[in-house]
Amino acid sequence: MLTADCISEQSIRERFTSSIKEVFSTMLGQHVEIVEAAKLSSDPAWPPLDGKQGQHDPYVVGTVGFIGNINGLIYLYLPEKFAHFATAHMLGMNESEVCAEGVAVVNDAIGELTNMTVGVFKNGLSDLGLACRLTIPSILRGTNFTIQPTSSATRWILYYQCAGQRLVADIIMKPGE
Amino acid sequence: MRYRILTVDDSKTVRTIVRKAIKSFDCEILEAANGVEGLAVASKESPDVILLDVTMPVMDGVEMLTKLKTDPRLKAIPVVMLTAEGGRDNVLKIAKLGIRDYIVKPFKEDVLLERLGRIIDLKPLSEAPSKIKSILDACEVLVVEDQPVIIQQIQEGLGHTKWKIHGMSMLGEAIDLCQKQTPDLILISLSLPDDGGVKLFRLLRADMKLRSTPIFALAVKTDSVAQQQAQQMGFAAVITKPIEIPDLESKMAKAMNLDTSLRYFALDEGFFTLRLPENCSPTVINEVTAYLDAKLAEAVNGGLSRAVIDVQEIKSLNMTIIKLLLQTMQTCRELAMHFALVGNAHIITECKGFEDTRDWSFFESMAEARTFLSTAKPGTPRAKTEPQPTPAAPVSAISTP
Repeated sequence: MLTADCISEQSIRERFTSSIKEVFSTMLGQHVEIVEAAKLSSDPAWPPLDGKQGQHDPYVVGTVGFIGNINGLIYLYLPEKFAHFATAHMLGMNESEVCAEGVAVVNDAIGELTNMTVGVFKNGLSDLGLACRLTIPSILRGTNFTIQPTSSATRWILYYQCAGQRLVADIIMKPGE
Repeated sequence: MRYRILTVDDSKTVRTIVRKAIKSFDCEILEAANGVEGLAVASKESPDVILLDVTMPVMDGVEMLTKLKTDPRLKAIPVVMLTAEGGRDNVLKIAKLGIRDYIVKPFKEDVLLERLGRIIDLKPLSEAPSKIKSILDACEVLVVEDQPVIIQQIQEGLGHTKWKIHGMSMLGEAIDLCQKQTPDLILISLSLPDDGGVKLFRLLRADMKLRSTPIFALAVKTDSVAQQQAQQMGFAAVITKPIEIPDLESKMAKAMNLDTSLRYFALDEGFFTLRLPENCSPTVINEVTAYLDAKLAEAVNGGLSRAVIDVQEIKSLNMTIIKLLLQTMQTCRELAMHFALVGNAHIITECKGFEDTRDWSFFESMAEARTFLSTAKPGTPRAKTEPQPTPAAPVSAISTP
């Protein structure tokens, strides 16, 4: 069962913020700042891309889940432009080379970036006694879309700023069976 | 030594990052996208290290690791987990399966290199051998033998080389030396007490740093059981005692992959020189024959058109030597090279006794041969097909091919 200590809004925010900072700093050499946080357990239909910025811009969304004593699914929304920048940095390419390589390269890089971020977050939960394991990453692409979790899950949305771009983390968790 | 690192990760991004991190080192990167592919590559290529992710489709890293550790041929390959799957319990569980290290993503290149460097000798490409070592280069040789007289014999017998022979009688000393530096070749006596030679061989073979170092066994000539055992164990060669130093030297040079051509061939001062040594054993003849065409081609490419064939050191002729000399002269002719023979009185006399060599004539010194060839004009008509004596050099062989 989840404990209050590890799933409090503050705990989730701090743990995930620490995770994204560590991964983006190590892999991209970029500083990430949290700009806003919202716990939205009562409104699963809340659109993370809420119109504040780039609602209709193309996004690349990395998704990784974790399964075990606690289950969860985390979506990391990156503007396509930022996804290209991150891919280029990780692979030692320039952005025009990334564009020439096609979406598969970007998808793989963002999948791995998400995997690492969720991995660090999940490992912290595991060390608290909530043993779980990661799932294989997947990628969503598109504009003006929402992902609606089931009502039994708890959801947090965290907004970050990195390299002049707004990133969104949509965290959905529920206790394990 | 070029180490091979297998990275098993379903993310091409991670495999690319690993390849980038390693590219400036003398290593080859092998890649696999899941455990099934990873096992196949490991089985085929026997990498020196495996970097292994956990969460992968088809077969995950834990299953691949389990299968690796149950395969007698693969279980000794060091495995470094490189995965986002951390957490104390996870790490402990996987560590129990037998891994060398565990790196939790995200990771920096320098961390990866530092961890790999604990397992393999990561050498920058700039320090990697840019050319094959030659017989004239320094090499480190470790001899583990409890009979000082044998060590002394090897040291004295190979004293004319630049090889440094470290003689040790104690296993501990030998292991210490191997930890400090990687010898180019190791000789282990199978006569060491308490089966020490066999134990040492197994210990050294398990050390990744020494994996490619040739290890020879030293066994008494009459002890066929020990020799057979050494061959079965995988010693690179068995040297029998009493030791025949020329044979040992030849086997060592071959095992260390040394270019021995400099022993016989020289390209200097405008001349190509082939010099046959005193001990012209079949091994020597084979070596010279193997290098001959390439060396003559190298000479021609370098603009040389004059060759000296020096057999002064040979004590006696035999058919293999004659065949080699005939082949050399024929190749010189085909390449339009002027050549001259230099020999000693005994060889000159012997040549008169063979049909094939009866007409050969010789200079008595390199200086005479070189002086003569220097006066031969490059454009000299090449009508003559056999060496002909000249009035100025009554015992000399010359050729204007």
